[in-house]
Amino acid sequence: MAIINFKEKIIQIKIVYYGPGRSGKTTNLQYLYNSLKEKFKDDLPSKLITIDTQGDRTLFFDFFPIELGKINGLDLKLQLYTTPGQVMYESTRRLVLKGVDGVVFVADSLASREEANLDSFQNLKDNLQHHKLTLNDIKLVFQWNKRDLEKNGIPLLDSETMDKQLNSELRTKAFPSSATDGTNVFKTLNVAAKMTVESVIEKLLDQKQNLPN
Amino acid sequence: MSIVLSEEIADKLDDSLHKLIEESGATYAMLTDMGGNLLSKAGDEDFDGAALAVLTAANFAATKEIASLIGEKDFSLLFHRGENENVHFTKITTEIILIVLFKPYLSLGLLRLKVDGIKDELNEILEA
Repeated sequence: MAIINFKEKIIQIKIVYYGPGRSGKTTNLQYLYNSLKEKFKDDLPSKLITIDTQGDRTLFFDFFPIELGKINGLDLKLQLYTTPGQVMYESTRRLVLKGVDGVVFVADSLASREEANLDSFQNLKDNLQHHKLTLNDIKLVFQWNKRDLEKNGIPLLDSETMDKQLNSELRTKAFPSSATDGTNVFKTLNVAAKMTVESVIEKLLDQKQNLPN
Repeated sequence: MSIVLSEEIADKLDDSLHKLIEESGATYAMLTDMGGNLLSKAGDEDFDGAALAVLTAANFAATKEIASLIGEKDFSLLFHRGENENVHFTKITTEIILIVLFKPYLSLGLLRLKVDGIKDELNEILEA
């Protein structure tokens, strides 16, 4: 659920990184955060908030707000969240989806994780349903993560297969990526943000037109 | 559906929060929705307000799960006591939470009274 505050001149949009456990959702956010921190030094106004277990698995969510310049005179603020991927954290995963405007689905390219990707995608649909949403109500971009492992000879699913398995219904944008070395991390976010902002503005215009005079 | 705050409504919410701070002696007040979106705030802020909004929404969501575990529908009020600052969270509507920070020397009872007093006012503004 996007928020527009005309007093503060802010438009705020929520994007959630979803996907199976260990697919690299938190790594995506960490890469974004570290790159921006390096670029802006101490001027970066926001911090990466992580609620995780003693290991490095996300327990509740990671959160990182980014300001992305102006749109129609309003400051655009993106709220980036990740969900816990492990199957047992079902209820927290559902909670993080509340008010979502856009999703980056981070799929694991490892051949052994084929089924985990499909399960997680179905789980996303089910959890959206819990908030009375379908995939058509939000914007979604895919990321085929861990492509860097190919050069180490580790068996990966090829992008075409992943596209066929996950993206045949939506036919949306998909990016082969590596969240550890940063390949296509910013690109994925840029495209997801652009698509989401456009759809939020479109919905707001509809909402305005439907208001009684 | 998105929330659109007009300048007029945002001003009214800010005024109500300022009034609450003045009358109760609290340090800081904030309104956020259950999705963690900050709606309005008043008072001294030497911390990340956006993060407070997000963590509050998460806190409510987590305690809601606790409520359902023990057969309660919901907890409408949460309170955390600190050494130098206390936090009081109240549900204003099903979707909106009021967060108040106050010093431990202030009476919790008085603060609750003042928060109750302003609840209807905030409700009216938000429903407009």
